[in-house]
This record gives sequence, structure tokens and C-alpha cells, in this order.
Amino acid sequence: MKLTRRNFLAWAGIGAVGAVACEGFGIRQGELNIQSPVSLPEDLVRGTDNWYASLCRTCPSCEGIVIRVMEGRAKKIQGNPYFPTNQGKTHARCEAGLQALYHPDRVPSPMRRSGPRGSGQFVPVKWQPNGMDALKEALRTRGSSSVLITEPLRGHMGLLASRFASAIKGEHLGFEAIDNNTLRAAFKNVYQQDSLPDFDFENSKFILSFGADFLSTWVSPTRFNRGYGEFRQGKDRDRGMLYQIDSRFSVTAASADKWLPVRPGWEGHMALSLAQVIVSEGLQASGVDVDALVGGDAGIATLNTFRPEVVAPLAGLTPEMTGGNPVEFLKDLARKFAGSSPSVAIGGGSAGAQTNGLFALEAIYALNYLVGSVGVKGGVKFNPGSPWDDVPASGNVGSLADWTRITEQIRSGQTKMLMLHGADPVHGLPESLQLRDAIAQADDLFVVSFSPFIDDTSALADLILPDRVYLEDWGDDISEPGPGYQVVGLQQPVVNPLPDLDPLSFPDVLLTMAQELGSESQLPWANYKSMLREGSDALFAMNRGSIDAADTEAFWNHLLRRGGWWDETATGATDVQAPTGLLRTIANKASDPEFNGIGVGADSFFLVPFAHNTLLDGYNGHLPWLQSAPDPLSTVTWQTWVELNDNTASRLGVKEGDIVRIESSKDSIRGVVYTTPAAPPDVIGVPFGQGRRHGSDYATDRPGSESSNVMDILETTQVKDTGSLAWAGTRVRVSKTGESVSISKLEGDTRAVEIGHTPAEEIIKTIAPEDHS
Amino acid sequence: MVTQRIDHKWGMVVDLDRCTGCQACVVACQAENNIPINTKEYFQQRRAYEWIRIERYWEGEFPNVKAKFIPILCQHCENAPCEPVCPVFATYHNDEGLNVQVYNRCVGTRYCSVNCPYTVRFFNYWEPQWPDRLRNQLNPDVTVRSRGIMEKCSFCVQRLRRGEVNVERRGLDTLTGQSIPVAERKLNHRQMKEGNYLPSCVQACPTSALQFADQHDETGPVKSYFDEANGHIETREAGGHVNEEETRVYRLFEEVGTKPNLIYLKKVEPFPVEKA
Amino acid sequence: MMPSGKMLPVMLAGGIVTVILGFVLVVLLISWFSNPPFGLGNAPAQPVAFPHTVHVAQNNIQCEFCHRNVTKGEAATVPALETCLFCHKDIDGSTETAKVEIEKVRTAFDTNEPINWERVHRLPDHVRFIHEAHLRYFTDEDILVKYGINGEEITQTPDVAQTCTICHGDVANKTEVQPKTGQSLKMGTCLDCHRANSVPTDCTVCHK
Repeated sequence: MKLTRRNFLAWAGIGAVGAVACEGFGIRQGELNIQSPVSLPEDLVRGTDNWYASLCRTCPSCEGIVIRVMEGRAKKIQGNPYFPTNQGKTHARCEAGLQALYHPDRVPSPMRRSGPRGSGQFVPVKWQPNGMDALKEALRTRGSSSVLITEPLRGHMGLLASRFASAIKGEHLGFEAIDNNTLRAAFKNVYQQDSLPDFDFENSKFILSFGADFLSTWVSPTRFNRGYGEFRQGKDRDRGMLYQIDSRFSVTAASADKWLPVRPGWEGHMALSLAQVIVSEGLQASGVDVDALVGGDAGIATLNTFRPEVVAPLAGLTPEMTGGNPVEFLKDLARKFAGSSPSVAIGGGSAGAQTNGLFALEAIYALNYLVGSVGVKGGVKFNPGSPWDDVPASGNVGSLADWTRITEQIRSGQTKMLMLHGADPVHGLPESLQLRDAIAQADDLFVVSFSPFIDDTSALADLILPDRVYLEDWGDDISEPGPGYQVVGLQQPVVNPLPDLDPLSFPDVLLTMAQELGSESQLPWANYKSMLREGSDALFAMNRGSIDAADTEAFWNHLLRRGGWWDETATGATDVQAPTGLLRTIANKASDPEFNGIGVGADSFFLVPFAHNTLLDGYNGHLPWLQSAPDPLSTVTWQTWVELNDNTASRLGVKEGDIVRIESSKDSIRGVVYTTPAAPPDVIGVPFGQGRRHGSDYATDRPGSESSNVMDILETTQVKDTGSLAWAGTRVRVSKTGESVSISKLEGDTRAVEIGHTPAEEIIKTIAPEDHS
Repeated sequence: MVTQRIDHKWGMVVDLDRCTGCQACVVACQAENNIPINTKEYFQQRRAYEWIRIERYWEGEFPNVKAKFIPILCQHCENAPCEPVCPVFATYHNDEGLNVQVYNRCVGTRYCSVNCPYTVRFFNYWEPQWPDRLRNQLNPDVTVRSRGIMEKCSFCVQRLRRGEVNVERRGLDTLTGQSIPVAERKLNHRQMKEGNYLPSCVQACPTSALQFADQHDETGPVKSYFDEANGHIETREAGGHVNEEETRVYRLFEEVGTKPNLIYLKKVEPFPVEKA
Repeated sequence: MMPSGKMLPVMLAGGIVTVILGFVLVVLLISWFSNPPFGLGNAPAQPVAFPHTVHVAQNNIQCEFCHRNVTKGEAATVPALETCLFCHKDIDGSTETAKVEIEKVRTAFDTNEPINWERVHRLPDHVRFIHEAHLRYFTDEDILVKYGINGEEITQTPDVAQTCTICHGDVANKTEVQPKTGQSLKMGTCLDCHRANSVPTDCTVCHK
């Protein structure tokens, strides 16, 4: 062939393509290498997995986990079968901790703000000297007017944080977007207990739950789920019965035998009306001193004002809901509840998040006295405190009242330094509190975040000193709620941080600072591990519990291997007595729920927000597995959906996927409509957790219409006497925007409904070939 | 010893009365099996990979409304419709009752997924992608499926194999490390549970709604249910009638005759919603 | 002769098809023949010229002393540098070459740099091969007759070192590591051997 310019180019082209293609088929440089490392630890064997025991930190209720580690990388998280609270079981959240460890958006090294506050512009700095010195300087000059905001801390971390705060003469407050303060206050008033109690569902015959979504998010769902499994189909027992009284069709309502939709805020009245039926019909358990419990004739008279005849219409019960006369239904429910011993009443969630939430929860938990379920098998089981004298067994969590005060202090310049760890108050508090603006506009404020991830609050920080993720760090915890006896969990580092990351353990930083500022007397430990080790030695000295060891070293090793220590004989109180006249005291507290802002009207709805099944209050929003885990009921993923009843939706002229504007007196958000046959017509449900503005793309790349933070529109109403946020106490209007998006859900476009059922052999008969013989 | 390896016949029982739809199994499966991150787009295109998924069915209207959850995963059918249509024998039934997908054999015709009545096979329309750092989490025991490959639940066969190596072959108790006599070297339910060899979803399930064991294992939790379900098939094949009111045991799409190695136990309903 | 204008598209199409087919053929041939037994690059150049002859044949070091997990786990394990230094802290080598090579190892150890060897036996990512299980089988005295990788009958129970040679050949007497001469290590070889020994041949035993 003659080489012309044209075919030269053609051949050159083919040659180039061929070279590229051959390169593609080739083996990458280094792929066939096999390495002789400098040293090879005994437990690092290629292809062999090691399981290390530790603690889960993706939800507040400490659970024991085991982590599969291969070749220095964590591969899988599972439940620790020995750990008493979860007994080898996990929730979806626990599994996803791995993604926090290997998250692409981890803060790689210390960072200093370079642009205006809130601009999200940071430059990396070194730990030594810049990071630590800046922190030291700030603590020296501003320590006495500082607030340390953390996740609720128990165990030695709780001790360390509170001692550190007192050493620098600052304040330490735990933060939870959906706090348990009202629940704690109710337990204190009704049972005189400081720790959250355990509920022995496994041995219970009847569970009466008021608003507590205990199978999904409430308090300790893994433990409760485990108990629930046995409650339903455990060996050697009859199937238990679950009634869910809830203003929204929650995951627990879906699993309940009967869901009773109640008008939001009337749960407490309903509990008292059940109490009234039990008392007036004499259904109480034997040995219960009704007279003392109710508070004599005056108490009976007060209680009688809560007769089912009075309460049923107030709570919005209709014959359709109860399958007959609502009054008879309530009476029948009271008889069933009292008649199936042991039975247990629990309350929480939206029932405790109204202005009258404390009253409601007290009324609900008082029911357990009437049926004799306090401190017994199958009922409420109390937890003892911490095995160590000075180590807290419950976190100290601020309420809305505290956060309002702190916002005010920031605004007035009284608070000059904020330290943040594991808490995102800007995302987790109502926007109308204006904490974001207060921080952003404060002139003389220094904000330090110890978060390994950028979130809405750390985006406002002046200095970010990334902490290690829990799989890389030491720690301990006291289970709350525990299983009814003392449990201490130990968290150990199972892997080292990857080489491109440079985090430093938060407790170690605090201890270093304490030393540099001359507070060794209060915090004498060189590092956090030695503090834990001292705690372990103290446990060993108690000479009781699950670990039988000859010396402190053996004890420590055993503690590491088992992931914790527990003492089944160190139980909580078993002889809790009701305060005299408890029911009367509670009944006198009764008040109607109050809704500020938008009033009751045909065009307004009750807004019932709820903790997201996997993201909770948004703490886990950056973990893709949890974003992509469908909500059990709506099957929606990644987006913020708005639960609307089918009929309400058609009345508003919206359909699934439409964007609606939800407006309170404070502000408005947009959300994707999900229509459901289960939502009460006057209630709309919106999950917490989405709508982050800063940080990982997994949490933030869908702003506005698809991912909204319901906190933006909540009224700053407080629960009476506890100061907690009454997050279910907001009324809203819903309007159509005319926009629509594709909803990202697992369910098909046609709604999945259960249809009638034909026995298999009928179908086999119809499809069998005809016999023509 | 390998030559005397005792054959297993695996089976799973799903108790719908225990299931609360919590999604623990779904995430556990994704963590174990190198399933790509299901982005929003995957869901919108209805191509999300969930080897096990929780289907939710509504019943009734407000206020008498119920939601029922049912975990759906590969049913590991004895008469699997997916197997005969594969032109390259990438999917087949092994002697332990598992329906196996051999990834490096698959050419991606998708015939199997079309033929599967349970919609539990997932086709890789894209090359799976993870941010670099997240790749550290990938399980080295499971192949990362490339684009153009069909994938599905394997009953976590990699965990079963690990269990076998430890118990049947190596002859050591997974927990104590003690030697087990040759005659007893069989992977039983207790060892699987304690040695983390149960399928990931079963290990995670907080309510124990999922149970997995050898169908012949007397000490295991599934044998009685499989005996009952197999009895139903025999009764029906003999032209008899099974009173479904009296039993909780059923197989999904029993009438199709696929004989799944997965059994469901009906939810107990004291107050059923009246069906139209 | 120049082709007529009519023929051009046909020729072009033919040409493209030929190129594609030729390319596919070349790829297939390369991938087939680059594997053992033909072996392109069978004995790749290693960063350190490690002679098995000296260590095994002359000094009788057991295989599992360095490949410490071969009787315990999945991978035989290439030894860590600290393992080399057990002996080579003191042993300097008798020849000039040896001295140079040993110094390489010491330097690597001192500078905390791993040594990247070129892999000789390559196992695809989707295959699970457990050295321990195979060694245990061949060294089990209760099994009277076993069959080697090429179907040869083994009646005398081998020890660990002899078992290694069944697949790896006589590494002890090789200065450069290379696969057993003429030995195929394709899936068919695995299957033949599994069948001969009547051990499981289910796909999931090896494929993951």
C-alpha cells in the first residue's frame, strides 16, 4: 500500500487506539506486587479476620458491638453477643458506623477559619504548634466564660468533661435535639429514679404504648426490639398484645395489634381515664393500695373528672377508630390492660413533647403502679447507678430553656468561647431561636469544634480540631437504660486512622490542656487510656461481677476481650413505692395542650415531627447507608417527605412527589408529599434529620425542596416544668407550590396494598393442565 | 475431614409476627456484600440494589389501617426459574440448597431476572463506585461485581465457607478453640451464631424474625417449620387440602411450584382489617 | 489496481472486521499463553535476589518458618523484614553478591521501607484458595491414597515441604522463584485434582 498522508493518519490513529486498548488490558503497575512489610503483627494475617469488642456510638443508648478487622481495616460491625443490653443484636445505625470511619468527608487535619465566620472557608494547620496553642490561648483568656457542648456523656468521658469545665470555670452541657429531659423528670416524679428504667417486654403480656416509637427510635430500640420479638413469638409463652396510642401512624403503630389515633396532646388525659376505670371498677392488681395511690376521696373525685365519657371526645376518638362506642372501648382497654398481668404502660415521643408533656408522661407511668408492674418481671425494671462513685451514669442534657439562655449569652457577649463535640445545636434547635445568627454575628466569640465532620455548627467554628472516630479511640460507657443491673461497656481502638488523616483524640486533648493550664490536681491523667485503666482497676478492686481475674492486668485484658463488665447481682431498686396521692397530684397538674402561633382551623394541621428511623435527629445524616435505608413505612430515602392522608392530599390538590410549603408562624419549609392511607386527616408527619446546610454531600446536596429541616419551623414552645422543647406542639398550614419532583422510594409507583388471598391448591387446580382422557 | 464432609441443606425462616420493618437486615446486607451505595438516582430509576428489602403493604383506610412488613430476599428455590434460562450456567443450584450466582461466569443477559417471580435479582447497570476511602470497608471475601453482571443474595455463602473451614475442616470450636471429635464436625446453629457465620441479615435482626440453619439440624430453629411446609407440599400434590387458618407456615408464591428454601410464618392478627 | 468506488465501503467494513477480530485473537492468545505453563515472565526480576537454594537446600530452613501462615491460614504470607533480620542481623553473607543483597534488606528495615516483590503465582481476586486446608489434606496420614496436581498417585504421606512441591515444584533448588515447570494452574487443573481426590467441586468452594 502506498503511504499517503491520509492513510498514514489512519494507521497512526488505529495504532494509537490499539495502544490505548492494550494498555487497558494490561495490568496496572504494582498490582502484581506482594509486599514484605517491615514488621507483621501476630494478629495480622492476610485472609484471616479478627473480631474486637467495642461500643457503638451512632445512637445514645450504648450497645456492645464486635468489629471484624482484616489486614488493618475494619470490615463489619455486629452485635456483641455477650453484651447484656443488645445481646448480639444491632440496629441499622450500628452497622453504619464503618462509614463514619472511612467517610470521604472526614476533616483530615486541624483547620483554622480563613474567611468570614460561616463562610465555610478553612485552611489546614498543624496540631503543634498552631492548633494546640490557639486552643490553649483561647482557654486561658476565655475559659471562664466558655461553654462546652457535647453529646450526652456518661462514664469516664462524662467525668472528664465536667471536671474540665469546672477546671476552666466554664460550663458543660450535653446536647440532644430530641432530649429525654421530660421523660427523666417523669421517672423522677413517679418512680424517684435518676436513671432511665428498663422495660421487660420479653416477659410482658400486654404493652400499652403512648406515643413511644420503641421499635424504631425511642430510647433503646435494639434492646426493645429484641424483647418485642420474644413478646410476640417467644418460646413457652403466649403471644403478647400491643396497643399503640399515638397521634401518628408510627413504625411501632404498624406492628401494634391496635393503633388508636389520638388527638395530639391528650395522651395524659387518656391514661388518667384508664386509671379511672381501673380504680372505679376495682381492677387493680392485688396488694395495690388504691386509696393511697389515688389520694383518698378527693383524689377519686378528681380522677372521676377523667371518666372515659369526658376524655373520649376530647381525645378525638370516634366510633370508626374504636370499632364501636369509644367510651366502651376505653373501658374495655382498661380491663384488658389490668387483666393481663404482667402488663406495662410506656409513654414518650410526641406524647411528652407537648406543653403538657410532663403531666402526660407522669399519668402514663403511674398506670404501672395500678397494675402492679413496678419493679417486677414483665414490667418496669429499675437501673442502678454507676459502679464508680464519681462517674456519672446519665448524661447531663440541656433543655430548650438552657439553650435559649446560652443563645442570649452569646448575643450579649457574656459567653466568649464555645467548644463543640458530637453536637450540632445549630441544626438541632429550632431556627427561631436564632442560634446560628447569634454565633455568626458575635464579635468576641471563639468557637472550637472537635468534630471529625463538618456540620452546621462546626461550619461556624474558628478552629476545628478533629477528634478520632469511635472505632479509633478509647472510651467507656454505662448503658442507659441498662438491663436492670450494672453494665459498663469498654470501647477500644480497633484500627489506626488512615495515613491521610491526622485526628487527635478529644479526651486526650482535654487532658493535655488541663495539664498545660495547671489543673493536674483535678485531671491528673497523662492520657484517657490511663484514666480508663484506673477505672478498670477500681472495678477489679470491687471484686464482683462478670470478670473473674487474678490481677488488674488480667482484668483489663478480659474487659477488652468481652467488651465490658456487668454485675447481675447489682440490680436497681425493686421496692419502689408510689408517693402518696400520686394520681391526685398528677391529675391536678392536668392541662390542655397549648399550640402557639397558627390556631386551630380548617386550613391548619397538627405538625407531628418524628425521629427518622436511621438518621434519628440528623446526627447520622452524613452516612450514605443510613440515608439510603428506606423508611419502613413510606420507603422514602434521601428526601424529606411529608406524610399526608390520601383524602387530605386530594382536598389540597396534591399528589405524591409534589412539593408543598409547610408554614408555621415562624417560617416555612418545603417538603415532598408522600400520601398514605394511615395518616390522620388533621395531622402531617415530617421526619427530623435532613436539611443540613454544611458538610458532607451525602447530607447536604439536596437543599430546599428535597431535604428540609423541620426544626426550621418549630415554635419555641416549652414543656411545662421541664423547659424541654415541645416539638410536637406546632400547628402549620400546608400549601401547594406547583412544583414536583421524582420521589426516591423503594415502593413501586403503584401503591403496595395487600389483596385477598386464594389458597394455593385452588390456584394449582386452575393452572393444572386439563385432563382430556 | 473434607472427604467426609457432611452435606448441609440450608434454610431460612422469616417470622412476620416478629418483624418490625426496622431495616437492620438491609444495612447489614449492604455492609457484608459490597453493595454499591444506593444513591437517590438509583431509587428514582428503580434500580436500587437491596438483596434483602422490606416490602410494606397497606391494608384498609384511616382509621382502621394496618401496615405489614415482609422481608424479601432470594428464595433459593429448589425449582428455580432463574436457573434453566441462563445460557452460560452462571446460576445453578448446589447440593446445599443454595441458588448460586457465579459472577465471573455471568455475561449479563438478564434472562434470570426476567424469569424470577420474586424480583430479587439485581443487574449492575453501572460500574459500582465508592469514594476512595470507603473502599477500605469492602469485604475481601466477596467479589465486587462490575458493570454488566447480575447479582443477588447468596445466603452469605462466604460466611458459611468460613464457618466450615473452622468447624468441619479445621475441627476446632469457633469459640473455645478446642478440638471437636470428627463425628461431630458439623457446622451447627450454635457455632454459626457464636462464630459470626450466620448470614449477615440473620445475625443482625434485633427481633430474631430471621432464623437460619440446616434444615436437618435437630437442634436448629428451622427444622420443624420445614417439615411442616414440606408436608403441605405433599398434601397438595396428593390433591389434599391444607387449612391455612391452622398454620402460620407458608412459602411465597407456593402455587408457582418453585419450592423455596425460605419459609414465612404469617403475622398473627387478633383484629384483622376487613378486606373489601 | 485501485478498487472501484462501489467496493470501497465493503472493503472498509471488511478491514474493520478483520482488525477487530485480529485484535480479539491477539488478546486471547496473550492471555492464554501468558499463564503457566507457557509463562511469559515466569521468573520476574525481584528487587532482592533471594536464593531459596541457600536458605532451604543448604541451610534446611523449613518452609513454614518464613511463610509462617501456610499451615494456619489462607495465605502463605511473605515474611516481614523483621523475620529476615532474625538471622541477618548477624549473618552477613559469604559472597559479594550476598553481602550486597543482604544489605538491601537491612537498609529497607532501617529506613522502614517495605520490599515489593513481584508476584510469581497469581490468583484472581474472585478465587479463594486456602493453603492451610490443602496442606492439612495432604499431610493427613488417615487418608491412604491421595492424588497430586497432575493426577499422580501419592501413597506415602508427604510432609509440609513435600506437599509444597506438589504445586510449586522444587523451589528449594531454585535460585529464582518460578512456577513449577510446565505446570498449569488454571481452573481445570484445580477441578481435575479436586475430582481425583473426591473433594467438593461446588463453585462456591473456590469462587467468591
